[in-house]
Formats: sequence, structure tokens, C-alpha cells
Amino acid sequence: MQKFIPSLLVAAITVSLSACMQSEKQDKKVVINKNPYPSTYQVLPSQTVLIKNATVLTGTGERIDNADVLMSNGKIEQVGQGLTANNAVEVDGSGKWITPGVIDVHSHLGVYPSPSAESHSDGNEATQPNTSEVWAEHSIWPQDPGFQAARAGGVTTLQILPGSANLFGGRGVTLRNVPSHTMQGMKFPEAPYGLKMACGENPKRVYGGRKISPSTRMGNMAGYRMAWSEATEYKRAWDKYETDYAAGKNPEAPSRDIELDTLKGVLDGEILIHNHCYKAEEMAMMIDLGKEFNYHSGTFHHAIEGYKIADKLAENGNCAAMWPDWWGFKMEAYDMVQENVAIVDSKPNSCAVVHSDSGTTIQRLNQEAGKVMYRANENGFDIKPEQAITWITLNSAKSLGLADKTGSLETGKNADVVLWNQNPFSVYAKAEQVFVDGSKVYDRFDEKYQAKSDFMLGQK
Amino acid sequence: MKLFKSSLIALALTSCASFAHAESIAITNATVHTVTEQGILTNATVVIDNGVITAINPKSINTDSTIDAMGKILTPGLIGSMNTLGLVEVSAVSRTRDAGDKKADITFDASTAFNPKSAAVAYSRKGGITTNIVTPRGGEKMFKGQAFIADLSGEYDSIVETNTAVIVDIGAKSKGSRALTIQNLRNKLEDRQKALAKAEKKQAEVKDDKKKEVKEPKRDEKVLNALLAGEKPLIAYADRATDLLALIKLKQDFKLDLVIVNAGDAISVAGQLASAKVPVIISTVDNLPSFDALHQSLESAAKLINSGVTVAFKVNGDTHNLYQLRFDAGLAIANGVSKEQALAAVTANVADAFNYDAGRIAVGKKADLVLWSADPFELSTHVEKMWIDGVEHSTESRHDSLRNRYTTESDMPRAYTK
Repeated sequence: MQKFIPSLLVAAITVSLSACMQSEKQDKKVVINKNPYPSTYQVLPSQTVLIKNATVLTGTGERIDNADVLMSNGKIEQVGQGLTANNAVEVDGSGKWITPGVIDVHSHLGVYPSPSAESHSDGNEATQPNTSEVWAEHSIWPQDPGFQAARAGGVTTLQILPGSANLFGGRGVTLRNVPSHTMQGMKFPEAPYGLKMACGENPKRVYGGRKISPSTRMGNMAGYRMAWSEATEYKRAWDKYETDYAAGKNPEAPSRDIELDTLKGVLDGEILIHNHCYKAEEMAMMIDLGKEFNYHSGTFHHAIEGYKIADKLAENGNCAAMWPDWWGFKMEAYDMVQENVAIVDSKPNSCAVVHSDSGTTIQRLNQEAGKVMYRANENGFDIKPEQAITWITLNSAKSLGLADKTGSLETGKNADVVLWNQNPFSVYAKAEQVFVDGSKVYDRFDEKYQAKSDFMLGQK
Repeated sequence: MKLFKSSLIALALTSCASFAHAESIAITNATVHTVTEQGILTNATVVIDNGVITAINPKSINTDSTIDAMGKILTPGLIGSMNTLGLVEVSAVSRTRDAGDKKADITFDASTAFNPKSAAVAYSRKGGITTNIVTPRGGEKMFKGQAFIADLSGEYDSIVETNTAVIVDIGAKSKGSRALTIQNLRNKLEDRQKALAKAEKKQAEVKDDKKKEVKEPKRDEKVLNALLAGEKPLIAYADRATDLLALIKLKQDFKLDLVIVNAGDAISVAGQLASAKVPVIISTVDNLPSFDALHQSLESAAKLINSGVTVAFKVNGDTHNLYQLRFDAGLAIANGVSKEQALAAVTANVADAFNYDAGRIAVGKKADLVLWSADPFELSTHVEKMWIDGVEHSTESRHDSLRNRYTTESDMPRAYTK
């Protein structure tokens, strides 16, 4: 709060002075560049591709048997039976399944890469409880071999988040899972930023251990509220600057604060909340916190107890990103149920997502979703593959604010496509071909399409 | 919420209480994966009595009860290893953790801390695990203590065997050099070997009638003696090929019963492991590189088996996910391991690595059995019935109670739904 007061004063003085000088010449308007590290991603070389006679799960809840998928110019051109196309590379999909590219909303690839090394441990700026000023994209090592492994598992889009040591961990970034030697070369064009927040045990353990706040859950809540209240004033100051400038006045711009820029981005609806939050009572409070400060509480990550408040999550439009079965490693992960995702999914207007938070399980999100489907069906549910696939495709895209671009096989959407050797919810399922924006980025049977990171090159 | 009502009734009907006594049971019409030279028996009958398999395909059946398996697959109970089941309830809650102690040494036996009532024990039964080889984390010393064997009955008599094997951690270190660990291990074995030879010589020199009371070895010396006699396996965590070769050399020099765990770079020295007859216990999901394991891949298990290495599987990471051992075996199958080999890797091969007589379906063997709804490795299947020591056990855990509570309609707060 302290650091903000002088700029408010300055603003107040400027305003009162400028009020009596209406005709004053305006200084150049101060505009903050919201995209200073822009994507340089280029779609890889592609051809028109027609995959024939496969079982297609569209990602919209639909299943089409013996269907074809036509991709051209990086987009899904058509999905249906008996399609033809001129000059298309035809792929026989008989006995195989096609799904949208898999999306992981929670990954630390690149910021906690392999090999695990102190020098590359760049995912948690655990130096103060609010580090909204850090951006995960500035930590990404694009040579993490984990990106290639995830691609072999059908992952075409993934959000890289900072860790959960802090109340506000910083910005997350969404990447295309294409090989590049720069972060910008992977950055998903026009994807909104995410802001990582964390509830519960982690922040209070990290800072409580240092005898600074937060050391309790009430300390966590106080930390969020003080930050949002400061951000609200920051936003007000900038909004006033904008209004005054637009009115022909010559106001002085508030001093820039990189930390508050991110929080203001949330209040402006431009940055989406991604909140590490396991427990029902905490998620319920985080929903109210969003209402208190006029932002949407976004996606709850890990959401072990999502099933306890499934109604509330759906009513408030929160996505919940969950594991099928991780539990027991912390008190807040003790009440796991294997049907969690299914219960959250069962409510109208819900948004259930299966995530990985792991360089290992990101390679098999299809099977992670499968585990949920089968366990739920053993216990009274009737979930079909066409529904379960939404947990790792369209719902994930919604969570990332990208549902208009990817996550389903609909005409005009990005051609992010996976061809599986069989039903993707089998333990024996493997991705055979993976397409990002219509370009083949992985082929299990063609080494030409198997990228290798610099790190692995030439290792004996 | 009509959806859930029928399932609740079904649950109530199928949930089977543990019987106090092991009655005699005939499981008929089963597809029995014996994990022996007998291979797979179809339409087979397995008779269990008093905790033991007493007959396979007998001429007549005279048992307390008969269960028609309707052609479904019966396997040995799966065996977990290299985890801290029963020693940790919640990993981040210090007062529920008993797997390690700063002062733990080669004699550390954590079996007295094993809690059969841990939620993780019941949960692991969902994965068809009937037995677990529990391995303590130890402390600051190179030796992490000794493994013990527990069954997953959830009863207070779960401990099957203690002081089963010695655990040692070799390889990359955050501080210091790996060389010193190998050197210390070699020195300890060499010193003990010399001391034993000296004692033997001294013993031989004295005349029979004057034989002095032999000084009893210390507790830790006894453990080393057992290693040198090949009576107790040495279970070594190691990854890099150079460490695996150093361990093979130790095995040869001291005639150790050596088992290597993780063995990330094993495929680089698969031939040497096979000819030295060193089994490995690996996780099938580990395919991301570390500097000690640059070449591990999802195909590692298949490559090792094809090179003649005996392979057992363990679950990587947190003990709470032990139940997914069968899925990890399924992943190995998807990447080139045969179903028979994969089943052996989660049953007989684990037992063999710890010199424990289990993990096979044959007359005289322990009646630890699982009847599966279909393919034991598939995500879509589940345990239909399981027996530990011939006693049927449920796969229910508190996770099911929580699910039922939150999927049952009620006007009252959930706390009243029990």
C-alpha cells in the first residue's frame, strides 16, 4: 500500500491543477504495452490432410463413427462421413480414433525442466508472498525434453504456471507444443495471460516457516485482500488518467507498478485467474473474494474437494482442474475421491478439467481422464468417451480462454488433432500422429517428425 | 439423483466383509494366470484352504464354498515394493510419518510402526495389491535400514517378515562425491569379511576343549554377515551405468545377493546385468532424463527383458498411488512387454527379488489371489474379489464413503449422511 500513496498524491495534485487549465496542451499519452514479449510462433509447414474412417470424438460431446477429418490451411475444414478433398494427404484411420489436441492447463515444463537441476529450478519466486510481477514465460527453458515427451502423448497446447509457494505466484503463459529455441517461438498467439494464485498449506508453510505473513489460512486471505484492495486503487488511478486524458485534460500518469499491472489486468478482465486450491471451504471463500473485488475467480487447480461444492462451482462458472487419483501427500489432499471429476462434471454448466501438474502424467492425460470415467461408471455414472474427452480438450480450452480457437474439431477452429492407435481411454492407447494448426508435429512411425531437444543431442 | 440410488444398493450387496477364518473355497471356471511354467489355465479350478492353495483342477470339489469365476482372470495378488505404505498416512503431516529417522542405520527396522489401518492400505487393495515390501527411507547414513513384508489385510497381524533386505543408496549426491559411497560400501564389506576370516581362523586354532566363548558380533555386524553369506538381499538405489557396473563388481567380489532399484541407465549395461544375474526393480513411467539416467524410455522395460534381465515393477513417486501398479504394468505392455512378463514383474519377480515365496499360483503357495472383472492391466477393469492368506477382503476405503456421502441426496447437511 505504501508504495502507492505518492502516485495518488501526484495524480490528485495534477488533476486539481489541470482543472483550471482546460485548454492546456496534452502531453504524449502514457500507454502501457500489454504484450512486450510477443509470440513469434510460426505454423510449421503443412499440407491439406484428410484422415479417413476413424472413430471421431469431436470434443463437443459428440462421437462420429467411421468419420473423416479434413484439415487445410491450419484449420479444421470439415468433420463427417465420406469426405473427399483434392490434393490432400490421405491417412487411413481405420480402427483408430481421432480427438482434438490434448490441452494441459497446469504444467511446469520448462520452468521445472528435466534434468532436474538447481540451475533450472525456475518455477517459484518464493521470496515474498505476492509476486504478481513475475512471469513464468521469463523462466522457460524451451529445451526441456519434457515438451517432446508431452507431444508424443498428444499434447498440443499447455499452460505453464509458476509454482504455488506464493499467494500470488505470477503470470502463467500458454504455449503451443511445438519445438522452438525461444519461448516466444512457442507462445500461443493471442492467448490471455493467467495469474497463478495459491490457497492453503503451501504459502502458509513457506512464509510461516520464515516467521512472516502468511502463517495461517486467515493470513492467506488477508494477503489476497490487501493486494486486491491496492490493485483496485491502482486501477482507479489509471482509469481516471484515461478518462481525464480522453476529456482533453493533461493528467499526469500514475507511476507504473509491474506487480499491480498484473492484478489490474485481472480486474480489467484481461488476465484469467488460475488458483491452486484444494479444499471446499477455501474455494467457496475464493469465489466470494472475487465478488468482493469484482473479478472472476477463474479455474481452481487441484480442486481435490471439488465434488463437495460441485453445485457452487457450476453456478459461479468456475472451471475445476483435477487429478484422477493423487492424494495423501498433504492434509488438503486427504479427501480425494476417484469420481471427483465426474461429480464436478455432472452439474449443468460445469467445467471439469483433468490436468497433470507433472512431466510424467502430461504424457497420458487421455488415460488420466479414462481412469475417472471408468471408476465413475462403476459407481452409478454413465459417462461416454465423447464426454470424457472434453475434460482434456474443450473444457481445458475454456479454462484458458481459448475455446474459440482450439479444443474441439469444429469447422474453422485451429486444426489441433491427435490420431490414436485405438480408444484413447485404453491403457494401451498411444498417439500415432499429432497436428498443431494442421501441421504434423509428431509421428510415432516416422523419425522425421520426432523432435529432439538440444540437451539430448549427442548425449552418449 | 436417481442415478446413485441403484449404485448404492449394489455397493451394499457387493461389499464383502472380511471373514474371521479362512474357510475352504473352490474358485471354479477361472482363467488362471499362474505365473509358473504352467502358464495360463482355462476353465480351471483353484482350491484354497487354511490360507494355502491346496489343489488346482482337483478331481472332485469338497469345500465350504464355491465361487464361479465365469471365465474371468485369476492372478496372484500383486506385490508392491520400494514404498512406505503403512509408515506414512499424510506425507506432509510429520506426526504421521515413521519411514525415516536421522539416526537410522543398517539395523533400522520400521515394521513396528506399520499401521494396517492406514487409509492407504485399504485404498491400495483397489489395485489388487495383496502384499507389500515396505522400504524405510532411513536417515543420513548410506544404509537406509531394512525392508519388511506386510500383507494388505488391514489386520494387526499384517507383518509377514521383518529384516528382509538391506537398503543402500548409491549414486548422485547433492553434496560430496558418489565415489565415497561406493568406497565406503566396499570398505565395510571388506573389513567385515576380514574380521570373519580372522575369527574363523582363531576359532580353528584353539583346541576343541578350550574353545572360548566366541565374541558375539554386534547387531550391525550381523547384518553385514548376512549380506556376505548371501542370505539377505542388498537392495541398491542407483541409476548411472557406472554405478550399476560398480555394484555388479561388488556382487562378484563379495558374492552378494544384489538387486538394483530405479536403474535408470540400465539399458546401457543390460548385457552385464543379465550375465551377472542382477534383477532390477524399475518404474515403467520414468522416461524423462536426469544426468544419471539419460537414456531411460518407456521401452526400457521391454529392452531389459529382451536382454535377459529379470525385471520387477514399482510405482514411482508417492506411496499413496501404489494402487496404480497394474496400470504402470499396462503401460509397459503398450511399449513392448508381453502380458505374461508384465504380470510376473508385479508378482513373482518382486517376490523373488526379496527371496519371498509368493507371487505364483501353485499348490502349496500362499493363497493371495485376485479375481479381475477382465484384463488386469486395463483402466476399465476392477478387482471383483481378492483373497489374502485365503481370506476374502473388500476393496472399500474411506474414499468410497466420501463419494457416497456427496452423491446421496439429503435435506440435511452432509454430515448426517454416514
